[in-house]
Amino acid sequence: MPGAAELRTLQRRINSVRSTQKITHAMELIAASRITRARQAVEAARPYAVMITRVIRDLAAESSVADHPLLTQPAAVDRVGLVIVAADRGLAGAYNANILRRAERLAEAETQQGRDAVRYIVGRKAQQYYHYRGEQVAESWTGVTDRPRYADARQIADRVINDYANGDIQRVWLCYTDFRSALRQVPSVAQLLPVEQRELAGGAGYTAEFMFEPEPAEILGQLLPRYLEHRVYAGLLESSASEHASRQRAMSNASENASEIIDELTREANAARQAAITTEISEIVGGAEALAST
Amino acid sequence: MTEEQRPTMQVDVVSAERELFSGEATAVFARSVLGEIGLLRGHQPAVLGLGKAPVRIQDTQGDELHFAVHDGFLECRGDELTVLADIAELAVEIDVERAKEAYARAVRHEQDPEYEGDAAAEKARAQLRLRMAGVEGY
Repeated sequence: MPGAAELRTLQRRINSVRSTQKITHAMELIAASRITRARQAVEAARPYAVMITRVIRDLAAESSVADHPLLTQPAAVDRVGLVIVAADRGLAGAYNANILRRAERLAEAETQQGRDAVRYIVGRKAQQYYHYRGEQVAESWTGVTDRPRYADARQIADRVINDYANGDIQRVWLCYTDFRSALRQVPSVAQLLPVEQRELAGGAGYTAEFMFEPEPAEILGQLLPRYLEHRVYAGLLESSASEHASRQRAMSNASENASEIIDELTREANAARQAAITTEISEIVGGAEALAST
Repeated sequence: MTEEQRPTMQVDVVSAERELFSGEATAVFARSVLGEIGLLRGHQPAVLGLGKAPVRIQDTQGDELHFAVHDGFLECRGDELTVLADIAELAVEIDVERAKEAYARAVRHEQDPEYEGDAAAEKARAQLRLRMAGVEGY
């Protein structure tokens, strides 16, 4: 009977959509819990950022140390480093596409000024993107963005600080996604190196009675890499929270779409069943009438 | 003078990943690049580099809190003291089994030129953790 076959096909499709919905719903819940965790990590890391910034500002106010190489603008800038933070996985709406587009816009602006762009990338999706485009990258890291740890940020920061100190690159940008709210994440760029003077201005300085061990210049030299590592760490955490928020939204939309499709298919299935019953009844009635008329 | 009357100072211990302690304390002991030091309220203001060593804090109840600090700085401003650590852990939170594994791994790698200074630093970290956790023989 054609009606029954159609009914079976519809039932199969409903089941398939329903199991997809289970997966998208689970991903939505996981993403939601990860946003919370990433936000907590951002909050937990804030005291260190506040303290180290204050100490560095006070140290920078000592005139003897203001000419640290990480603080001074190189005379000529012809190679620029970009640290680009994307995700390892997709299924997060336009998250990866947005940050990569933002980073490439910056790279293009630098190239138009006659500078080379050197890319340091985080996340498998960024790797795939640059591999596909045949673009060389200086280094790439994966397995970081789902749950960033300080040690990850340290590796990344140390690599760019090293290249900057060697003179390979004369400026470094950090491209990350800023988590403004659960509904709003903004692809952003911030200058990492050289550390901008205004970031470190306004320190009260230290009074003459202060004892320094080792020398202030050496303390600053040790603190500045920590400061940069911490900025990369904060960028990774913001990006991670944004990634999970984007994924939660994408998966919530997917679950909703699945519900709509299930409703639609259920209606079709009901109609098909009704049609099959109607056909059956009219056949029986037709048969009964045929018998009665004999 | 009884314990309760000793002057206190505001002490903060922060690591890159989180804040471990924030509150009033009567004394802080640490090993700086100058050697072992004890700081009370009113100590000469100072900024000191810290190595891989324990930091002890005496709180207002007279209890002592022990932290394993792996590199960082201590800033003392008379009535305020801040420990900025690269890595810091509360001694009671140290995972002894993991530290033992890390120690064994570091010893294995020590002779391997591929790891260079990394193994030595890893060994020092593991040793500090184990000593802080009260494990004998390290």
